Order: sequence, then structure tokens, then C-alpha cells
Amino acid sequence: MDFPILSALIILPAAAAGVIMLLPERRAEIVRPLGIVLSLLPVGLSGFLLWRFQRGEAGFQFVEQVGWIDRLGVSWHLGVDGISLLLVALTSLLVAISLGASTAVTHRLRLFIAMVLLLEAGLIGVFLSLDLFLFFVFFEVILIPMTFIIGIWGSENRVYAAVKFFLYTALGSALMLAGIISLAFIHQNQTGTLGFSYLDMLNLDLGTETQRWLFGAFALAFAIKVPIFPLHTWLPDAHVQAPTAGSVLLAGVLLKLGTYGLLRFALPLFPEAAVDFAPLMATLAVIGIIYGAAVAIVQKDLKKLVAYSSVSHLGFIVLGTFALTSQGLSGSVIQMINHGLTTGALFLLVGLLYERRHTKLIADFGGVAQGAPVLAGMFLFMAFASIGLPGLNGFVGEFLILIGSYASLPAFAIVAAAGVILAAVYLLWAYERVFTGEPSLPANREVRDLSAGEILLLAPLAAVIIFLGVYPKPALEVIEPSTRAVLERVESATDYVSPEPVTDFLLGDG
Amino acid sequence: MDVSYLAAAPVILLLLGALVVLMVDVFARPPALVHAGLAAVSYIAAAGAVVGQWRRVAADGGSLSFGETVLLAEHTVALQGILLAAAALGTLAAWRMLAGLGGRTAEGVSLVLAAAAGFVLMSVSVHLVLLFIALEIGSIALYALTGIVRTSPAGGEAAVKYFLLGAFASAIFIYGGALVFAGTGEMDLLGISSFLGSTVVLRPAVILIGLGLLVVGMSFKVTAAPFHSWAPDVYQGAPAGAVGFMAAAAKVGGFAALLNILFLGFSRYQEAWADGIAVLAAVSMAAGTLLAIVQNDVRRMLAYSGVAHAGFILTGMTAGLVGMGGVLFYLAVYSVMVVGTFAAVSAVSGDPPQGPAADTFAFYRGLGRRSPWVAGILSLLLIGMSGMPLTAGFIGKFEVFRAAWNGGFRWLVIVGLLASVAAFFFYLRLIVLMYFGSDSDEENMSPAERTPASVRWALAAAATVTVGLGVFPGPLLDFLG
Repeated sequence: MDFPILSALIILPAAAAGVIMLLPERRAEIVRPLGIVLSLLPVGLSGFLLWRFQRGEAGFQFVEQVGWIDRLGVSWHLGVDGISLLLVALTSLLVAISLGASTAVTHRLRLFIAMVLLLEAGLIGVFLSLDLFLFFVFFEVILIPMTFIIGIWGSENRVYAAVKFFLYTALGSALMLAGIISLAFIHQNQTGTLGFSYLDMLNLDLGTETQRWLFGAFALAFAIKVPIFPLHTWLPDAHVQAPTAGSVLLAGVLLKLGTYGLLRFALPLFPEAAVDFAPLMATLAVIGIIYGAAVAIVQKDLKKLVAYSSVSHLGFIVLGTFALTSQGLSGSVIQMINHGLTTGALFLLVGLLYERRHTKLIADFGGVAQGAPVLAGMFLFMAFASIGLPGLNGFVGEFLILIGSYASLPAFAIVAAAGVILAAVYLLWAYERVFTGEPSLPANREVRDLSAGEILLLAPLAAVIIFLGVYPKPALEVIEPSTRAVLERVESATDYVSPEPVTDFLLGDG
Repeated sequence: MDVSYLAAAPVILLLLGALVVLMVDVFARPPALVHAGLAAVSYIAAAGAVVGQWRRVAADGGSLSFGETVLLAEHTVALQGILLAAAALGTLAAWRMLAGLGGRTAEGVSLVLAAAAGFVLMSVSVHLVLLFIALEIGSIALYALTGIVRTSPAGGEAAVKYFLLGAFASAIFIYGGALVFAGTGEMDLLGISSFLGSTVVLRPAVILIGLGLLVVGMSFKVTAAPFHSWAPDVYQGAPAGAVGFMAAAAKVGGFAALLNILFLGFSRYQEAWADGIAVLAAVSMAAGTLLAIVQNDVRRMLAYSGVAHAGFILTGMTAGLVGMGGVLFYLAVYSVMVVGTFAAVSAVSGDPPQGPAADTFAFYRGLGRRSPWVAGILSLLLIGMSGMPLTAGFIGKFEVFRAAWNGGFRWLVIVGLLASVAAFFFYLRLIVLMYFGSDSDEENMSPAERTPASVRWALAAAATVTVGLGVFPGPLLDFLG
């Protein structure tokens, strides 16, 4: 057997967390660098994975399967395809960057780094699991490190935010567990053995009624994670209270668990129900796009503004998913990556501003660009990427989603397009109030500019943002076959036919 | 009379151990550690006997002895094993309290041994009279253990309360037994089963009322709502280190009786009792969880959470024999986790408690800083009880829910899942207090005293089992069948 690279991607961060906990607490000068170095190992592994991944293939690659709880038919079953590959890479990158950016954390540093690394293990585990039981284990286990990260290192209202985050998401996953158990029984009835393998579940014959119930159970769990309007109320609290690293990972990766789950499980496992519920999900997505943007415009707190912008952006991803067109699905996947990069970077920048000025209120800033031009430029760059300026990554994703949803749900696409304009309003207006003009306070004139180390943290994100914006073809070559397979599965299982694409010019021959 | 010494060996060895400990104390007055050694020998010998029973059952299948009153079968052997593990671990967890009893260490050690003997006998009893006798042996030892610290007024009060309500429950149980005898003419469960199988009972009301009373009597013992009211007071008043064992032993013994009565004696009435058990389970899960949320005392919280756990175990019973493995697994992991949790409680608040506020939630504030190991393991055990994946608690819940889902009680599974989510609230609340407090809060608390070695061993064992069975549940699940 080849080197089990996928297992290594999960076990390595978990083991690194153990190593960190064994170090003496007081030696921060060892703990921090070692934590960062250890977090770079998964980055290297996922780089290797990107390199060795066979582009143009729809199926799972690097598949590993080892029996775990034989009695229940549970196995340690991992695999990566075009939908999960880039998410895994994104996770490892953001974890390394957010650990590097956590210089403000001095209190119980060892536990902090261990929790971030455990979180990484869980997140990568979710993306790689091909066994529903295993998937649920990772999906649920993530809650503990994230709750600790918010609850110990967050700001004033952290305990409330942490508990709210935990209970909200636990409620969703409890119902999903009922769904998983019942799928396992259907598996038993149809094949004779209890089993949780995702690939076997795809072959089950589920009645329409059953599909609707199960879709409901799964979609609710994922909708809370995304979060889809009106289940989003935990998000502003958690994002705003979390420390910078927590916000970066929460927005960058954790929210993608929901959209990933919808795409990986809700759509292929319950295609009939997905087609039936698509209008509802798309409606909620569009409401989320407009609502999130509208609320973001009126925020007084910069971090809250970025948090609500996530509600809006995630709405696009859900819309693209339930547009049920090839472009829409591909756009969703690439937009998951884009949002992780840009919003992660924005949270990082807000965190850096907070470290300098100890405030997040927009009104306290003004004219910061005079003293910190690089910081301002970086913020503007990330804002442009988030808005979807052509040539940057956000454009590719939003464009695909809008084209894809226009083909099947034209009215939705038109309303959603307004969200793009609103994004420009809230981000550029925030930029104007924070960075431009004459410094309103002496403190704003003296804001320290980005240090070389901080630029080094943001540079990889900026590089990927430009790369994906200018040359998205390799990424789309990874994503497309897998999303097309999802669509083909939905089409073959139902009488749904995805509309002809409006235009083909961006994808070329695809 | 078909005597099988092997079937009776664990009970005999445990009772012998209890007597030897007392006698040695009378004649030699040895140091406390000698009693610990004698107890350990008794547990190991009894465990050896249980292993022997297992080999017999594996080779020849189940067997009856002593005039069809004692049953050796896979599940009765497993239940005895669980009880022995809980008793051994419980003695370790309670050792500081036992060793601190002055000249009365032997009493405490022998009471734990006697309680274990009673409940072990209960697990193998398939005759209502023998069940009752075994129940009393075990329960009376637990009443005495509750009040063993004579300087603690709360302990005395708790012991009296426990005794009165326990006696009441026993009376209900024996009345139920009488009604069943009136209806069937049988006292042994297999006899009842064959009577029900061979006779058309036109008016089964008497039998069903009798069965209901048997279940109610046992519901007291396993703290199923609404028969749980003694538990919070007893858990609060009894010596902290011993509460874990008391909770585990009474639950395992009570569920052993319920399993035997319902699955062996009244399997033909499964349609009648399954709904009742489901309601009892739902009420226990809901009431236990909701009442646990509003507690400010850690022990009372754990008592109500024990009510909810009784509900989860009952959930697994609704499916009948299919759920047996899940119920046994749950009992095993709950026993270990609850003994470990109360070992941690005794380490944090002292045994006897340092003061009237020592058991409140507020006392745990900042524990993550003061005693990182105790706080870490306590958190792990609480996470385990809440049923997070990668802990044994998750597999236990998964198995009982799976059984109930299979048995058609889907609404009950949904209730259970919702109760599990609500339960996160109070487990999390304690963890939040231990870790999420700011530094200024922590200075108010006196530094924790050093955790005794016995408690540390008990905690390490409980944590190992919780994680070990959470990550690799396969072998035990296969074993429990």
C-alpha cells in the first residue's frame, strides 16, 4: 500500500497537538515557533496532494479503507475528490496562517495551539471521510476545540458566544445522527449488513417520502453550520467574540462544512428531495444574500460587518448549489475556497487593526491609510477580492454562480446580483470610513504599518487570490468533473434536466 | 437440588471477603491498607470466577441451577463483570474517605463488598424471591454506606431518606411479585414465561398490574423518573467518593432485574410493556435533563443526569432482546464514568467536603488552572457522559438509539437526541466554569489540595476506559453481543 497520505493529514495535526501539550507551559519561545512549524507539515502534505491529484477525474482518489468497528460496519474510509481537495488545502493553509497571526495570544498559549491543531485534524477529517459514521464523529468533535477557542481566548462576551455556538450546532447534528442511523438501517434492509459507507449509500433505493425526511434532517444540520437564513443568529456572536485565529478558521473553513455537506451528502444521497426542495433552499439563500448585505451595511463594528458579509457570501454558495447546474455547482465549490481566502484575510486584517488600536468600532477609525499605507492597501485588495472584482478570485466564483443560477432560476439570479453591488457598498464604505481622509484622532495617524512578518502571512493569501482570479483553469479542472458527477447523479435519479448553459466562454471546452 | 458452585462463586467470594475483612479487623486491627489488600483479593477472586463462568457459557451455553433460580447466561455474566469493575474502581475512588474513618475502615470496605455481592446475586437471579433477597442485601449495604461518615449530618439524613424510600420501593416490588404469583402461580421467571406461553390468559389485568409494580419498584433503584426523588438528596449527602459506586451498583443491579423480568419472564407481553418502558424512558430523559439544567450543585446535577441516563438505557430496552448488547454496553460505560466523575468531585470539593459551598458550581471556577489534571479528566468524563463522539458515551448512546430505532420507537429516539443536546448545556456549563473564567476570578479560590494517589488512579482508569471504549468499542461490543 502507498503512503497513507490522507490519514497522515488527519493524524499529523492531532499528534502535533499532543506534542505541544507535552512542552512546558512557560516556554512560549519554544511553544509558538514549534506550533507554527508543526502546522506547516500538513501544508506540505496538502501541497503534495495537489501535485499528485489526477485532474479531470471525477471519482475519489488516494482512497484508504481500514475496518474500525466491524460490528457496526464502520470503517476508517477516506478519499479525496475535486470537491474536497481544495478545501483540504485551504484548511491547512489557513491554520498555519492563523497560528502565525496569533501573536496576541499569550494566555495559555500551549492549550491554544493544541486546540487549533485539533480543530485542523477534525476539519480535514470531515472533508476526507467517506463513511457517514466517521464523518459524524469528525463533524461533532470539531465543536470542542472551537468552543474552547472562542470561550477561553475570545473577547468580553465569549462564554455566551461559545455556548450558543456549541448548542446551536449540536442541535443540528443530533437530527443528522437520526438520519444517519436510519440510513444505516435502510442499508441493512437492502444489503443485509449494517453499514455507513458513503459509496454504498449512493446505491440505496430510497422512497420519495424517506428522502424528504432524511434530506430535512441533513439539510437542517448543514443549514445551521452554513448558516442559512434564518438560522444564522449564532454566527455574528461567535465571529465577533472569537479571537482572530478563531474568526479566520470559523469563517474560512467551519462554515464550509455546511455547504460542503449539502453538496457532498444532501444532493447526491437524496436527489429527488433535493430537486423538490431546491426552490426553498434557493429562496432562503437569496434572502440570506440580501439580508446579510443589508445588515452588514449598517454595522458599527468592523468585525461584525465582516461577519455579516459571510452570511451574504455563503448565500451565494447555497444558491449555486441548489441552482443544480454545472456552472452553479462548480462556482459554489470555488467560491467556498474564495470566501475562505478573502474573508480569512479580512478577519486577519481586522484583528491586526484591533491589536493596534484596541477598538473595532468603525467610528473610532479614520485616515488610518496615512500612517499605514500597506495595511490600507491590503485591506482594499481583500475587499476588492471579496466584492468580486474581475481579475481576482471572487469574480470567478460569483460569475459562475450567477450564470449557473440564471439558467435555472433566473429571478433568483437577478436578485442575487444585487448582493454583489451591496457588497461593494458595505466594504468600500467601510474602507472609506476607516482608512481615508484626515486622521480623526492622533492615534489613527500613528497606526503602525504592517511588519514584514505580517506581510508574509498575508502574501500567500494574496498570491492565491490573484492566481485563481487570473488563471482559474487548473482549479476548475479539479472541481468540474466531480461537480458534474453530482449533477449527473441528480439527473439520472430524477426526471430533472439541468438547463443548457447560458454561455460557455469562460470554461472553454471544460 | 442442582447446585452449581461456579454460578454462586462470585457471590460467595465477595461475601467471604466482607466477613474476612470484618473478622481480621476484630482480631488483629491491622492498618487500613491490609483491608484494601483483602478487598482487592476478593474482587480478583470473584473476577476469576466470572471468567470461569464465561468460559462455561461460551462452551456449553446458558445454564440454570439451584432449582431454576440462578441463571448463567451471557448477559448475567457480563452484568457481574460490570459490577465487579465498578466496585473495585469505586473502592479505589472512595479510599481516602474509607481510610479516614478512623477505626471503621473495615466496616466501609466490607459494606462495599456486601453491596457488590448483593447486586451480583441480583444479576443472576431469575426467581422473584431470590431477586428480592439479593436486592435487599445490596440495598441495605448501600443505605449504611450512605451514612458511614458519622460526623456528617447530611450523610445521616441522606441515609434515612434513602432507607425509607428504598424500603418503600422494595415493598412495591414484592407486592408486584405477589400479584404476578396470584396471576400465574409462578415465582420463577422461566416458569412465568412458560405459563404465559402455554396458557391463554383471558383477563391479564392482575398479571399486568403485578408486572407494572415490579417495574416501578426497580425504577426507584435505577432512578427512572418519576421515581427518582431520593437520588439528588442521597448523592448530595453521601460521601463523595462512594457515590459513584452507589449510583453504578444500584443502576446495574436494577437494570439486571429489569432485563431478566422483562426479557425472560414477560417476553410474551413485550407489546404491552414496550410502550410503558418507552414512556418511562421519555419521561426520565426529559425530566432528568431539564431538572439537571437548573441545578447549582454539582452532585445534584449529576444525580439528575443519572435520571436522564436511566432514560437512555430504558430507550435501549424498548426493542427487546435486540437492544441487550447496547444496554449492557451503556451500563458498563456509565458505571465507569460515574465512578470516575465522583472521584473527581471528591478530589475537588474534598471528602468530606471542605465547606457548605464546596459542591456548588461556583467552586469549580478556574479549576482548569488550579488542578489541570483533575479538571482535564473531569471534563473528559463529562464530555463522555454528554455523548460526544470518540468517547464511550457516544457509542453507548448510539447503540441504544439504534436498538430503539430498529424497534420502531423513532419518536423516542428523537426525544433522546433532543435530550442529549439539552444535556450538553449543563455538562458544558461545568466545563465552561473550569476553563473559561478570567484570571481575576481564580485568585479568590484557595489552591486545591493535593489529589490523593488512590483518586488519581481511579481517574486515570476511568479516563482510559472512556476514551479506549470510545475509539475501539469493537471488542466489547462483540463480547456483549
